[in-house]
Amino acid sequence: MAQTTLDNITKVFTEDDGNEIVAVDGVSIDIDDGEFLVLVGPSGCGKSTTLRMIAGLESISSGDIRLGDRVINDVPAKNRDIAMVFQSYALYPHMTVRENMSFGLEESTDMADDEIARRVEETAEMMGIADLLDRKPGELSGGQQQRVALGRAIVRDPSVFLMDEPLSNLDAKLRAEMRTELQRLQEELDTTTVYVTHDQTEAMTMGDRVAILDDGRLQQVGTPLECYHRPANRFVAGFVGEPSMNFVETTLRDEPGGAVLEADSFDYPIADEIAAELPESSNPVLGIRPEDIEISEGAPSGEHEIAATIDVIEPMGDENIVYLQFGDDSSVRGKSIIATIDGMRRFESGQTVTVHVPESAIHLFDGASGEALHNRRLDAADSQVPRL
Amino acid sequence: MTDETVSAGRTVADERLSDRFDLTRVGLYAALVGLTIFYLIPVQSGFVTSIKTSEALINTQPFAPPGPDGATVEKWAFAFDALSRGLVNSLVFTVPATILCAVLGSMAAYGLTLVDWRGQVAVFVLFIAGIFIPYQSVVIPLTQFWSQYAMLDHRLGLVLSSHQATLLELIITHTAYGIPICTMLFRSQYKTMSWEMIEAARLDGASVSRIYRRIVLPLSIPMFAVVFIFQFTQIWNEFLFSLTLIGSVNDPAASTTLILSGLGEALEGVDYPLRMAGALITALPTLIVYLLFADKFAEGVRV
Repeated sequence: MAQTTLDNITKVFTEDDGNEIVAVDGVSIDIDDGEFLVLVGPSGCGKSTTLRMIAGLESISSGDIRLGDRVINDVPAKNRDIAMVFQSYALYPHMTVRENMSFGLEESTDMADDEIARRVEETAEMMGIADLLDRKPGELSGGQQQRVALGRAIVRDPSVFLMDEPLSNLDAKLRAEMRTELQRLQEELDTTTVYVTHDQTEAMTMGDRVAILDDGRLQQVGTPLECYHRPANRFVAGFVGEPSMNFVETTLRDEPGGAVLEADSFDYPIADEIAAELPESSNPVLGIRPEDIEISEGAPSGEHEIAATIDVIEPMGDENIVYLQFGDDSSVRGKSIIATIDGMRRFESGQTVTVHVPESAIHLFDGASGEALHNRRLDAADSQVPRL
Repeated sequence: MTDETVSAGRTVADERLSDRFDLTRVGLYAALVGLTIFYLIPVQSGFVTSIKTSEALINTQPFAPPGPDGATVEKWAFAFDALSRGLVNSLVFTVPATILCAVLGSMAAYGLTLVDWRGQVAVFVLFIAGIFIPYQSVVIPLTQFWSQYAMLDHRLGLVLSSHQATLLELIITHTAYGIPICTMLFRSQYKTMSWEMIEAARLDGASVSRIYRRIVLPLSIPMFAVVFIFQFTQIWNEFLFSLTLIGSVNDPAASTTLILSGLGEALEGVDYPLRMAGALITALPTLIVYLLFADKFAEGVRV
């Protein structure tokens, strides 16, 4: 049991015509012993390739992977003491559940047969699949196959679990159930787990920490709430959270009364301490999460209030998702701003409202690089400060 | 009232539907019966011819059965006597060559499909090229190779008699010629196998050869049935290699196809009943192999 370290690992695929594709570009992550790390990102971001390099299924173009102090770059997959759960479950169709689960122990250890049988039964008991031991995968439902795949990994008692989108083939209800169960199992077993997903709900709810990748590069590693409240850049801010953060491009302007962010359809004054964080004469992107936007009837009166027209309302029951256009002229079409409001409040589409964008909740990103220049204040926003 | 009308309407519709249904069925069965007759007539004619005496052969239509006094099993007994030596020889080289083709073909396909290494496409191209080499073009080099370079009867003279050496040559030749097509058949199946499953086995600690034995081999049993039937029939019926490598009907290693080619030929004319009996006897083993593997065969061709 030791820390797993990814040190600047890179994967370059060479295509048949000589083109080089950088799938993973200098990713460094320290994974603590017993940690549940989620690798998340849009498809093609290199998260699966990273996982496969840890597994030893893909060679590493440059950089090191260490287990403790030992570099395992050239250790073949079978000697890495790693178990993996695949998206397709990858069960052996001609073997019973019992044989599927015994296979790894038979191949990788010289354990006695009765010891293997005992372990398999114990694990099957824990996973609630003891009554399926003599069936073949083809006779099992998707959820049951999923449990067998997990059981097959768990029975080997590896030092690291790797999971490649293991829940994506399940229906929504079962997926939610298995999400909780996987977390419970991981806590019980206390085995380091690296979990790949494209689903940001899974990333937010399951991981001790989340590593967000885009285009082969690591964008941010942190606890889910860190990534949510203190995104390192615009990509992370937009990727984490549903519906995603609103972005408005602005220009920073100094006025006698203080700094102002000038957008197409409104001016947004900002406090001096925020302005101090911004480089001079820059074009920062203003970010605001939908749930931080307040909507009220009547005309704008305060400093950070802007007139807007409601375009579409999507009632979700517990909340309404409101698509807004800035300005009170509904014929002018720009990029919609999304706000979520309480499900009990009633608004009409086409209605002119006032949008309040609280200064404490805004994020500012560099217009060119996307780096976060200012993140929201947490103390002022709500009295219950989430622990990061 | 309304109910009756509705039900009456439905009956009419049903009848119309069943009329049409019956017509297609009648057509289908007519076609099936026609095809069955078309395919069975030669077999039936062959069979009735084989049990006719020479007189009955002249006096009856080819497909008509002989009368009670025109029937005889004499030709069958004679054909069996003449062919028994060839049947044994053919079995001796066909069975090992078939098994070797299947086993080596499956291993090659596994190595070329489910194991990742540099240059495997080039090697696979060589295998594919092997399928397209016409037999005629290699007959002379092949005979020279065995008689002038390999010289098995000479080199293994202490262990094998000369006709056993010939049979060994046939086993090796047929195996070598069968491997490409078998490899391709197995490869087509292995390409459909889940790559993740193979990777799972690798992570489970299995070596390349253990993955083959414990995962790939058990999953390719239906394809083995396909290859067994196909290769057995190919090698059993093969004539050109027998003719060139064995050479003479009188050779102790003569195969059944070689003996059959001369069976019933004489200066006074062709003995058709004898030839028919010989042909049917020679065809029997392929029929038996097909029946043995039919279940798995059906499963295998579905892949």
